[in-house]
Amino acid sequence: MEIRPSVASISGLVGTAVLSLCVTTSWADNTTRQGPMASPPHIMVAQAMGPAPNGTATPPPAPEIPLGGTSIEDLLMQKGTITKEEWIQIRAEQEYKGGERDKRVDTLDEWKSKAELLPILRDKVNFGLNALQWLYTHQDAHVPEGRSQDNFSIRRSEILFWGRISDTLPRWHTLMEFQSINLLNNTPTGGSAATGGVPTSSTFFREAYLDIRPVQSWAPNVNYFRMGIFRMPFGIFTETSGGLRDVISSPYLTSVGSGVGNRTGSAGTIDFLQERDYFLDMRGKLLNRLEYVAGIMNNNNYTANATGSNAPKSFYSRVRLFGSDVSFISFTTIQGESNNANTNINGRGKGAFDRYGLDFRYTSKILPGFMIQGEIWQGHDGANQTTIGRPANGACDVQTICGGSGAPGVQRRTWYVLAKYLITDGPLENFEPVVMYEQFDPNTRIGNDLYTRTIVGVSYYFENFPPKVQSKLQVNYEFRHHSGNGPNNVVDPTRGVGDPFAQNAFLVQWQIRFM
Amino acid sequence: MKTYRSAILITLIGIVLSGCGPERIFSAKVLDGVDPNFDFAAWRMVPNAKGGKKVQLGGRIVQAPQKDGLVTMVLTQLPIAEHPAYGPTDRERGRGEFLVYFNGKIPTNHLQPGNRVIAIGTTQNAVVVAIEDSQRSLPALTAQCLHIWNTGGKEIADFPNFGAGYQPLEEETYCTESR
Repeated sequence: MEIRPSVASISGLVGTAVLSLCVTTSWADNTTRQGPMASPPHIMVAQAMGPAPNGTATPPPAPEIPLGGTSIEDLLMQKGTITKEEWIQIRAEQEYKGGERDKRVDTLDEWKSKAELLPILRDKVNFGLNALQWLYTHQDAHVPEGRSQDNFSIRRSEILFWGRISDTLPRWHTLMEFQSINLLNNTPTGGSAATGGVPTSSTFFREAYLDIRPVQSWAPNVNYFRMGIFRMPFGIFTETSGGLRDVISSPYLTSVGSGVGNRTGSAGTIDFLQERDYFLDMRGKLLNRLEYVAGIMNNNNYTANATGSNAPKSFYSRVRLFGSDVSFISFTTIQGESNNANTNINGRGKGAFDRYGLDFRYTSKILPGFMIQGEIWQGHDGANQTTIGRPANGACDVQTICGGSGAPGVQRRTWYVLAKYLITDGPLENFEPVVMYEQFDPNTRIGNDLYTRTIVGVSYYFENFPPKVQSKLQVNYEFRHHSGNGPNNVVDPTRGVGDPFAQNAFLVQWQIRFM
Repeated sequence: MKTYRSAILITLIGIVLSGCGPERIFSAKVLDGVDPNFDFAAWRMVPNAKGGKKVQLGGRIVQAPQKDGLVTMVLTQLPIAEHPAYGPTDRERGRGEFLVYFNGKIPTNHLQPGNRVIAIGTTQNAVVVAIEDSQRSLPALTAQCLHIWNTGGKEIADFPNFGAGYQPLEEETYCTESR
């Protein structure tokens, strides 16, 4: 009974010694992997360290000990502190523990091998939060009964999945907008007497594409072919993720106006540039300075997949010349035809369709944190434009036959300039004032239809490592003005409710982005 | 008229063909004297035997504290690829860590872990540094120039369409004042 505490203490010491030997061995293994010049690991050999102090029989082989050393239990037996039986007991416990440890290591190895094959650890599957945005808006406009001028909403709830399959298939990508559960409308074929479109289907995803890089050595000059649905390479804003935008509202170049069109071609909702579309294109970069895209698209917005509309195709191309890594100037064009029947884009008519855009961004290296960018766009929409759900069929101005707005083809023009400055030190560190001014002219041939907006705001970044992480609070005030819906047309498209594009607005948005 | 057209065509072809060549981010003066056959693995094993060599190494930032105008950067060595995008690539397994000293100021966001770096400098003796609370002896390099891609851990080739949208990749070259 008196011996047991000693045995326990010795066992503890021995255990510690064994563990420390394991650690030493592990380090040695690491060293070995590092190259041929590393010192060899300690070799564990069994050694007899002399006769047993009180035994006549040959002692069992001594435990594994490092070269030039001896084990504690051997030493204790040599000094007569422990008996041979105790020595055997200690060794048995060591062997048992060693066996258990080996089993655990084997199990860990097995799980490590399995874990290493998981797609998420091999870059084949990744997921992230593209943008989760909480929005508060206030607008001094008349609102219908039961509504408020103050609104809380979730602006975006976008989960992103992507991965890399191989060198040839360098990326797949899909983005889910969890608010995309509303049924989408279509634009029926017919005259003004035809029944309006009925919402029938929805698109849960907003983006889904895959890249093919056929020849590695061609990249980045011919980098990859991309097909699917994604943000279109039309200027800057259209292609900027909702989780990285500097102001809360989308610019007028993507969408402006409300209600239905009239014969001036300047009224109603106009989606001048759709943000997303179905396409196939080729992308690359020359001289590390000149980026290009050329492709063909459906030209019928992201909803086309759900409503089944396959519109006349359009060609598009953009060249972007970089002055530095983050400053550039680019030219974009879109050429094709559009149709008003079965369209999923507001403000499109039947006939020739084109867009020309020039954009620039200057990110200062002299004044770090300062950035200015701008875009100017002009383009033609065919005659008899319509809004989604309003029947249309053809380019004539007889609405009983061709439906739509009855307007002739129009030339539209829009531009904006945005500047911001991120404060990087001092008490206002991570604050970013921003200002933007924009104009949208729905019909360049007539007056009294201009939309203008000035946005002033400030952002505060809690985390700012774009494009991966961006958590921020944005506060914007928008000074909005709308001249009218063309000569002799009322400004208020929805009488009694007010024109939201002629009323100032206050917006606060809190965002998290992580991937 | 035909002459002009031919000239424009030849110029365009020249631009395209010149774009097919390997990308250069450092000047010839900076690259002068760089050992093209430098054996990183051997240097890492016996750093003190290969001091004073001018080398070019690519890597990924593990940690990069900056103090008193000195950046002490621990990098995981990565091979430098030409395709699909020029720069250090993580598609192959790294061959170990090394240390880079750089005299100069670098914006904090360019020093975030995961960023890709190419360093040109002279090898020094090994230095003991603390990495995640453990002491490590690493071969060291005193950099004359650095080129940093602000990828935040992603591949250079993943840009500009990393995430859901377009985001140009920030990259910058830093050289010591003597350069």
